[in-house]
Amino acid sequence: MSFITFKHICKRYPGAETDTVKDFNMEIEEKEFIAFVGPSGCGKSTTLRMVAGFEEITGGELYIGGKKMNEVAPRDRGIAMVFQNYALYPHMTVEKNIGYGLKNMKLPADEIKKKVDWAIKILGLEEYRYRKPKNLSGGQRQRVALGRAIVKDQKVFLMDEPLSNLDAKLRVSMRTEISKLHRELGATTIYVTHDQVEAMTMADRIVIMKEGVVQQAGRPMELYDHPANQFVAGFIGSPQMNFFDVTVKGDQMEFSGGSHMTIPAEVLEKLKGKQGNMVFGIRGEDIRMDAQSLEACGKEQMKAVITDTEVMGNENNLYFTFGGAQAVARVSKYDLHQMGDEITFTFVPSKMHFFDRETGVNYVEA
Amino acid sequence: MLTKKQRRINWILVVFLLALSIFFLFPVIWMLANSFKGDAAITADMNSIAAFIPPAPGGGFFENYVSILTNTNFVRYMANTLFYAAILIILGIVVNGLAGYALAKIAFPFRDQWLLVIMMLLIVPTETVITIHFLIIAKAGLLNTIIGYILPMIVNPFNIFLFRQVFVSLPDDVYEAAQLDFCGPVKYFFTMVLPMSKTVVATVSVFTFLNVWNDYLWPSLVFTSSDLLTAQIGLNSITSNDNTTMGQTLAVITLVTIPVIIIYALFSKQIVEGVTSTGSKEG
Repeated sequence: MSFITFKHICKRYPGAETDTVKDFNMEIEEKEFIAFVGPSGCGKSTTLRMVAGFEEITGGELYIGGKKMNEVAPRDRGIAMVFQNYALYPHMTVEKNIGYGLKNMKLPADEIKKKVDWAIKILGLEEYRYRKPKNLSGGQRQRVALGRAIVKDQKVFLMDEPLSNLDAKLRVSMRTEISKLHRELGATTIYVTHDQVEAMTMADRIVIMKEGVVQQAGRPMELYDHPANQFVAGFIGSPQMNFFDVTVKGDQMEFSGGSHMTIPAEVLEKLKGKQGNMVFGIRGEDIRMDAQSLEACGKEQMKAVITDTEVMGNENNLYFTFGGAQAVARVSKYDLHQMGDEITFTFVPSKMHFFDRETGVNYVEA
Repeated sequence: MLTKKQRRINWILVVFLLALSIFFLFPVIWMLANSFKGDAAITADMNSIAAFIPPAPGGGFFENYVSILTNTNFVRYMANTLFYAAILIILGIVVNGLAGYALAKIAFPFRDQWLLVIMMLLIVPTETVITIHFLIIAKAGLLNTIIGYILPMIVNPFNIFLFRQVFVSLPDDVYEAAQLDFCGPVKYFFTMVLPMSKTVVATVSVFTFLNVWNDYLWPSLVFTSSDLLTAQIGLNSITSNDNTTMGQTLAVITLVTIPVIIIYALFSKQIVEGVTSTGSKEG
């Protein structure tokens, strides 16, 4: 039996014509770290708030620890939550903010102090103990919010874009801190973010949503290597996967610019005879221009002119136009191609994806 | 950095405002200066600048004050008024605050229409409803009681509106966080909402105090027993007494004025905020 179960969960706001969340099904195991990602308005926060009990569930059933939660008040669901805007109590010191829930749980004073001390210590808030939220930086505030969540020993943590108000550098360090906390405390965590990097780096499993519908749920690398559809393929990974409109005829794939290549036998097999117009997808790092790869692919070599380069430090991004689309290849930092150079490249066969032009379904993974 | 022109305008403004405040302070200074004098001295100084200068401190300097405080019930009236104000401040914050909170944060049918009704009540002058209040209180047999005096004063549409305007901008996620910290709605109101809105609580308290302190009509209708009178009514009964001298009259007026001046001096920020956030001032 899983720990949190979503059974056909739906949400429709009063007066709305469509569901904000449509038929959400999922089983979350105890101690798992799940990330909900998607563009804004995809229903990820709404789903989280339904778990918390702040939004009414208009269809389906939600179970936490085997108990149906649809009608249970937020406070009785055994959850702790970290909010996007921290939601600290502005008139209370850090210490009081963290201990407030424990005080309301009517724990003895010495136990409250012990727990608050522990939280303040692991979050490194010692010197801010008696400060009020307005005298703290964003990162410190978020730590207080985390502290408030962890002291209560709840089984479930809900985090609603907790890092989105922090600057990039702080976000990276808080990311590791949250991951570490999760490992130490082992609470089942649902983490909502619009940042796919956060989801990729922190989560055991990722749920990608779009317009209230789950697009794919799975382990980060599963989503990266085997996207179920074009939306997932485009959402996960940076720079984005390259997409080209192609026409498949027999074993030939024709790009809109006129160039064509023979589809490798292993890919052709996965396509199961699908023909016609589709979208071909390939990630930047799977566009190869080294001698070895070019030799291996034989005649199936493409040519393009570099229109722009991005030096990332650890690697370089080469931009070029090919087949009527802008594309980017990720190459090693020792690759010294310049703007205006002509490159010859090929694709890694096992990483080629073909998507339906209308539905976006990935034929290779179906 | 201010330009030369701006600085000159500032100076003109300062001079103008100074002149204006002296103009308004004239009667107050006159009152204060003469409240330390005997009637003979007041009459003698009347037409000279001496009317604005208090006598040299010495024997009998506080005579008018001493006689007011010892020979009349005025201390009692002041204490009564402070007591009423304290009760009305507490009840007013709880009742109007809860109403404002409901109008700001709790969804219920016709909420916006309710708010409109309450805002329309702002236009109704106290004097038009005071007869009805009086009749109700009389019917209830509450005339000449503290409860009868206080009941119609608790609910105040202006304060409800003031609270509502502030509460509407409180973040919802703090309430959600508090819920997960096992804080119920009532506790949330008293331990979170009010402390987070200290300014409006102070504003409402100041307005309530001034309202109670300066109110004449309602206490004069409700109270007949001299034990329950407020300072304003007491002031009237003392000054209309033929045995009261002019100096004593000025002393008692000074005593009534002082708390108001102190309140204005201490809480001018809250008063200005109250006026600017609603565009109107009451009391």
